[in-house]
Order: sequence, then C-alpha cells, then structure tokens
Amino acid sequence: MTNPDATGPNAAPRSDEQIEQSLYAKAEKIYPREVHGLFARLRVLGVLGLLGVYYILPWLRWDGHQALLLDLPARKFHIFFITLWPQDFFYLALLLIIAGLTLFFVTALAGRIWCGYACPQTVWTEAFLWIERKVEGDRMKQQKLDALPMNARKFRIKATKHFLWIAFAAWTGFTFVGYFTPIIELGQRLLTFNLGPWETFWVIFYGFATYGNAGFMREQVCKYMCPYARFQSAMFDKDTLIVSYIPTRGEPRGSRKRSDDPATKGLGDCIDCTLCVQVCPTGIDIRDGLQYECIACSACIDACDDVMDKMGYERGLIKYTTEHAMKGGKTHIIRPRIIIYAMILLAIMAAFAYSFSQRIALGLDVIRDRNTLYRETADGLIENVYILKILNMDDRAHQYDLGVSGIPGLTLHKDMDIIEVESGGVMELPVRLRADEADLEVRSSDVVFELVATDDAALIAREEARFLGPQ
Amino acid sequence: MAEKQVPGMQKCIAVLWPSFLVAIVVTGLFFSAFDPDDLYPFGEQTEISRLGMYTIGFLVFWLITAISGIGTLYFAITNCMRQNPGSRDQ
Repeated sequence: MTNPDATGPNAAPRSDEQIEQSLYAKAEKIYPREVHGLFARLRVLGVLGLLGVYYILPWLRWDGHQALLLDLPARKFHIFFITLWPQDFFYLALLLIIAGLTLFFVTALAGRIWCGYACPQTVWTEAFLWIERKVEGDRMKQQKLDALPMNARKFRIKATKHFLWIAFAAWTGFTFVGYFTPIIELGQRLLTFNLGPWETFWVIFYGFATYGNAGFMREQVCKYMCPYARFQSAMFDKDTLIVSYIPTRGEPRGSRKRSDDPATKGLGDCIDCTLCVQVCPTGIDIRDGLQYECIACSACIDACDDVMDKMGYERGLIKYTTEHAMKGGKTHIIRPRIIIYAMILLAIMAAFAYSFSQRIALGLDVIRDRNTLYRETADGLIENVYILKILNMDDRAHQYDLGVSGIPGLTLHKDMDIIEVESGGVMELPVRLRADEADLEVRSSDVVFELVATDDAALIAREEARFLGPQ
Repeated sequence: MAEKQVPGMQKCIAVLWPSFLVAIVVTGLFFSAFDPDDLYPFGEQTEISRLGMYTIGFLVFWLITAISGIGTLYFAITNCMRQNPGSRDQ
C-alpha cells in the first residue's frame, strides 16, 4: 500500500506472497509533500492550538496553585477548581469512560477526525515535519539529500535537524513531567541541575518517545501500533464521514493537456498527477478506496482541489462524503447508532455530574491498631485503639465533631479537644474506645464513627469499624 | 507464518507495545489503591520517593506484562508452525 506507483482499482490482485512481502518489508521512508488549502489550514490551526495548550497549560495558576497538576508525589489532582484524591478514583474512571465514549460518538459521526487533526501522534509529527522542511527543504530536496552519500553539507543539515528535534523533544518531555510534579519548582531544579533521578528518567523517557514517534516512526505508529486504528471500523457505517475519491467521476484516469476535452479522449476527471499520493502522510493511494491506513487528514482533498481548479474542473473529485452519498443516496445523520451512542454518553455524563455534585469534601478512614486486639484498662473496661485518617477535601479549613455509636455505653477518648484540619490536609488522629465487657454481646461488634463539620452539617462522613473483646 | 519470516523488530513491538499500554493501566490502578509510602516491599521500609516507587512499579509491571507477551508470541508462532508443517522451509 505504500508503493506510490500502485495503479488503483485496475491493478492486478496481489498474490499471497506479495502481500506477505509487503507485510514484512522494511518500511520505506515517506516524504509527504507540503500541501496548502482549507483542510491544511484547519490542521495547522488544530496543531498550533493543541501544542499551545500542551506547552502553556502547566504554567497557568489557579487560586494559588498550578491550574492543572496531577500531583503524583502528593497524591492529589488539581483540575482548576476541583481537587481529586485517591478516594475519588471513581470520578477519574468515569471521566476516562466519558472521553472514550465521546471518541466513539465522534467516530461514528465524522470518521477519523481525531486521527487527522487532534491525535498527539499527528500533532507532533506535523511539528517535526515542519522543522524538517525548514531545515532540509521541500520533498524533492529531502529525497535528493537522502540519496547523497554522507558529506560535510549533508552532515551539517542532518545534525541541525536532529539538534532541533532533540531540543523540541526535550522541552516536550520536561512539560510532560510538569503535569505531574509542580512545574515551576521543576524548572528551578532543572536550571540549577538539581533534577531528581526519577524526574530525569521521565523527561528523557517522554522526550525520547516524542523524538522516536514523531521523527522516525510517524505513520507506522498509526498503521502498526495504534489500537484505535484497528477497531475504529467497528464504529463506522454507511453514513460515516469518510475521505473518498469518486471513481465514477475520475475513471478512466489519464494525463492530458489542459486544452483537451476529456469526453472526446474518453477520460474521466482524474489526470493521474499522483499529487494525492505524494501528499499522503501514510503513503497510500486514496484512489484504491477506503483503507485502514487512511487517517482522514484530507491532505489529498486539498491537493486534488488545487489541481481541479488549475484544470478548470469542478472541485471535489476527492472529498468528504459517505458511502450512502457516493451511491447517490441520502446521508442520515440521525440514525440508531448515533442515538444509542449519544444516549449512553449523556447517561454517563449525567451520572458523573450528579454524583460529583453530591460529593462530600470530607474523607474518613479508620485503621485498627494491628498490634493488640484489645486491652483491659485499670478500671476493668475493654479498650480498642484506632487511628482515624481525616481528609479535608474542601477548599477551606474546618473543625469537626467526632461521635461513635454501636455499643451501649461506648465512650470515646482522644488526646486533643478540637479537631481542626486545614484545606487539603490529612490528620491522623489516634482514638481509644472503651466499653464495659457486660455490654459486649459478641466477640466482634460493629461500631460507627461519625465525623461532622461544626460549621456545615452537610460535611459528614461515617465509617464502620470493629470493636473486639474477649469471649 | 514461519518464525524466521517475522522480523525481529515486529516481534519486539508485538511484545513491548501492548505490555507497555497494559503496564500504564495497571500502574494507575495499583497506585490509586495503594500509597507507596504505606508499602513495605520485602518487609523493608524504603528511602525511595513516591515518584521513584511509581517508576519502579511501572517498570516492574512492564517487565511482567512483557514476559507474558513473550509467552504469547512464542506459543502463537510455534502452534502456527505445528498446524502448517513445512512452513519453516518456505
């Protein structure tokens, strides 16, 4: 499929041997030709927007902290006005499911728009291609340069390109780590050469992955490694937006002079200039029909529209269309698949919104002292020891009242009178429960701790624990 | 598909890439449930920071999932050869 000389639907079917060879042949470098046009501008907009968001976002501040910080060392995630704790794992899982379903929905509706405009693989590949073009020149110059044996000039050009690539990749790796550990401190440590070993590891790891994926692997990631590329066809139907060549209009293809009338020569509108193949970042020929390698970047649409303009033909020999539309039918946007995806998506989003609005910004964990089951006090009571972990997930400090129930006459003893926890703080509070042996009916009784904020009765947390006694 | 026809690079990707993805998911799940500071690997308290423990955890999970991937690859190739005897000679 990567052979630019393939001649489309008229090509002879390939034998198994040829297919196997092409499966295991060493991938040849693809030199995508630069393209201008509506979709190229949209993609540049997407690339600049997304790269801008990626590199700037970790530097934004919100309410005294980094606006988006998945603070792994401190085990809390700041997402603007929301702070999530490990206890909130559920919300994070829901968010990921919502993101996944949104991708399904968009795929069913508009095809592989994600691949062509928003996927990090595309975005960084575009950035690396841009650097490559600035340093090495256009497609022809790149091919000529690569064909040359190594000399001083080639070495200088290649070294410049790789230096720029590596610098860009290193900055990318640094920014990546800045999402997981406060970036300002990280930057200070970097400038003073005090970066920790693990931070260094991840900067290099992510930087190297960027350099390798965007500089060398490129379309092979989409073709051989991307899971989404493999299963996206399951979301496709005959009404999904695809990039397609219109063979009924284009065939039979053939070169001609501008002044020629295609009708008298028995030709279709395709002048077989192969520009659509040259601009393709995955190196396919769109005229062979819908292929899984196609990332719907629509570079071929821009290239072909340009040629159609020059020839004085109508645009749209290659265009966004649907299978139904190509067969002369009508495209149904509202259809069962879309309705079902939308309903599932809305239901999960509603569940998320509701459960998040009901979220109580107070966490209580009770840990029994593991060393002793129970002990008897001097006045003959049975005593159990617990450590309470109180987590104030609210954005201001609170004082709390602590109560306990479950056994008649149960008393609670702690060393401090006032339980006050700062915003985002965790307090470990050792407490002792005492009960009369006569009140214990079984060896292990259930008790319930209840913690309420003194200034807000809605901030309440209950946690069960076991009270062990003799018998 | 005989073993010798599958290039080494493809085998490497087939093992390392899916295991990498799974290792990320497992690392996320594991460390959402357990705080590294509460863990005592082999009964020892460690001096390693949380970020360090996450990293080690991730690399260990990657190693384990990759070993499983090597097993899958090995059995897939050898079983395929058994079902297509002589394919090795092609």
